Amino acid sequence: MTIENYISRFAAAVDSPYTQARRCKAQGQKVIGWLLTDVPEELIHAAGAFPVGILGSHNNIRLADTHVQVWMCSLMRSSLEMGLAGELDFLDGVVIPHTCDTARMIGDIWRRNCRTPYVDSFLMPRQVNRRSAREYLIGELGRLKRQLEQRTGEMITAEKLHASIRLFNENRRLLRRMREIHAGHPGLLTSRQVYTVIKAAMYMDKAEHNRILRDLVRELEEKADEGAGVLPGTVRLVISGGVWEPPETMDLIDGAGGVVVGDDLHTGARYLGPDPDEDGDGLAALADRQLNKMPFCAHENGDYGRARFLIDLARRSQADGLLFLHLKFCEPENYDYHDLREALKAAAIPNFRLETEFTNPNLGQIRTRLEAFIEMIGRDSIERTF
Amino acid sequence: MSVPFKTAALMKELMARYYARGEECRRQGIPVAWVTAVFPVEIIYGMDLFPYYPENFGAVASARKIADKLSVAAERQGYFPDLCGYARCGIGDAYAVDHPAGNILPPDLLLCSNTQCGSLPKWFQAAGRFYNKPYFLWDAPFLESEVSDLSQNYLLQQLHELIDFLEVTTKRRLDFDRLREAVALSGEACRLWNDCLEMAALEPAPFGFFDACFHMAPIVTMRGTQAAVDYYRQLKAEIKERWAKKIYAIPNERYKVYFDHIPVWPRLRWFADLFAAHDTLVVASQYTHAWAMNFDPARPLETLAEQYPRQFVNRGFDYRIKLKIEFMTRYHCDGFVLFSNRSCKPNAFGLYDKNKVLTELTGLPGVVFEGDMSDLRFFPEPQVQTLLEIFFERLGSSRAISASALKKK
Ligand code: SF4
Ligand code: SF4
Repeated sequence: MTIENYISRFAAAVDSPYTQARRCKAQGQKVIGWLLTDVPEELIHAAGAFPVGILGSHNNIRLADTHVQVWMCSLMRSSLEMGLAGELDFLDGVVIPHTCDTARMIGDIWRRNCRTPYVDSFLMPRQVNRRSAREYLIGELGRLKRQLEQRTGEMITAEKLHASIRLFNENRRLLRRMREIHAGHPGLLTSRQVYTVIKAAMYMDKAEHNRILRDLVRELEEKADEGAGVLPGTVRLVISGGVWEPPETMDLIDGAGGVVVGDDLHTGARYLGPDPDEDGDGLAALADRQLNKMPFCAHENGDYGRARFLIDLARRSQADGLLFLHLKFCEPENYDYHDLREALKAAAIPNFRLETEFTNPNLGQIRTRLEAFIEMIGRDSIERTF
Repeated sequence: MSVPFKTAALMKELMARYYARGEECRRQGIPVAWVTAVFPVEIIYGMDLFPYYPENFGAVASARKIADKLSVAAERQGYFPDLCGYARCGIGDAYAVDHPAGNILPPDLLLCSNTQCGSLPKWFQAAGRFYNKPYFLWDAPFLESEVSDLSQNYLLQQLHELIDFLEVTTKRRLDFDRLREAVALSGEACRLWNDCLEMAALEPAPFGFFDACFHMAPIVTMRGTQAAVDYYRQLKAEIKERWAKKIYAIPNERYKVYFDHIPVWPRLRWFADLFAAHDTLVVASQYTHAWAMNFDPARPLETLAEQYPRQFVNRGFDYRIKLKIEFMTRYHCDGFVLFSNRSCKPNAFGLYDKNKVLTELTGLPGVVFEGDMSDLRFFPEPQVQTLLEIFFERLGSSRAISASALKKK
């Protein structure tokens, strides 16, 4: 099969995100949804349920407007809209992580208005550097585990959890490998294709995703060995933010002569994160994965600040610039922006902020602004070369 | 509000002394600790540090109608007008050239709790970077239903971490006797403050929500000191005295209503006058009742770890509904006003559903209005006025219904 064939499988999952979940449900499997970001899917999987991401939608928002203000971020508003519209009625439950105030308040609204029988708030710690965080998080994961066991009627044994962790680790390893190849050979995949593969992992059965991805990676490796896809002159970008929405943004970046080589997005590199240990105590391993994730907007990481992280990331990825892709009304990102911008400036990394929404994006404007930014840093990097 | 409170003069003096003390501490090298409004400040007293409340600065700047100007200073730096107004005031002040509401007191360390919201940690962290000072978060898991041992232990363990952090950064030791004393004083101030608030239930009442907004600064900024206790003892006595002399909060009280949550600071007067003109007294708000801690000074750390995170700010939907209905019942309310405050997302999100549920459960007329507590650029005054006028018209007709509906509950 060609690369395009593999990609089309992933793209199909992203275009029709709940087809597989519904199929599992029809076959009698429990389906547990999760909202962005950081819900430990491995636990859901180990309970024999099908974990599926609820990642917002591009449809017009009507029903949610009677429940939440228009100044709630469109990620949560459009996710709630799906719940209200009955599009998620196949779910046996949904796990909502407490990242920000919006996520913290949406649980009760969801519980009250959507037909989801079980709504769990995953109360992760919002500090990660002190001893108390780990102890608490292991306890909270234990609570979530017991809830999932009750809801699915299946015990999460140590073996099952280990098996799930192994499966998910393989997925992460393959995804990382794909990105690595792409970063060196950006001509082999478009930026949008790369991120579509990652997003598909949030919707598809992991074993199946692994199967296709393994073949894709092999194909990419062959092509890379032949030296294909090296695109000199492309402007290499790192993206910082929450989600790569609207998806057309990725096309517009490539269209303007850019390529995305790194990110800290919830629907990107944050999802890959560090791998939990494959043996030993499963909950502790999941806790360590969570605590060692890259810094992000929703909570602090005192030992490794986000500015430092982004500068390292940009350098490691040999990026020419960084694009902040922020959702309108996302407070946490807003609070970080000034300091990150200044830190990048001090490190001579050109950067630019784009504010978008899920619904009714003004693509013309996004295009113009991206083109201007990419042209500007393209010029700069040429000047630097000579 | 025609006859001024004697205590008002005392308040001015008290606050002036508090700010002066802050400056003095800076000069003397006593560390200034930024703290949040629902934070176990008693520990700060136990360490003999000076607590400073940037939220109070935000409220004062907002009441002086300069939040928009400070916000513009923050916006120039890349902060956006969608953030909490208090944070925009604090951040804006750091960059502003003019300081018509005085300068914020720069911190030596920043102590923050997220019991209230996730805005405060982000703001304090940004400020920590700006002032280049250490930051500590007391992380409070949301309390959706019951209190769990897990979160209780986590909260307590973090208090020990906080003490370690303070001892290391300030090279001071925690004095447990001072801590116990501060906890006792804090509890006493809370009791007296709530006694004052309770008097809004009298008919007609000598004290209402807008008065409470004026008199709340000490419970926020001086809780844990003798000064706060003295202040509320005097205020309580004065309210009683006014009641005896038939000096009421508004001239012709006919209706009592519940208000959720923070007032629109730069329009406090406007609201008070508008309600008074309709013979309506705002009698309670969860906001002014946020300091209802019932401490046990014998177990100072445990009691702090228990009481602070159990206030409504860290509670889920059902608890808040129950609390609001309790207030409406206890204060004999004829209606309720819900402020969808775009600054305060954790209190605004869910309000539309709460409006519906409260209407169903109480049968009382209610209204939701949109605006911002700080920034008049986001306060559509004519629309708010129209909405409230319609609400006032609905007030009269429902008293009988409401009484029976509340009883049914
Ligand atoms: S972090 Fe931002 S994008 Fe994510 S839920 Fe919160 S407000 Fe929305
Ligand atoms: S007003 Fe609301 S968002 Fe702002 S600091 Fe207070 S609780 Fe937080």
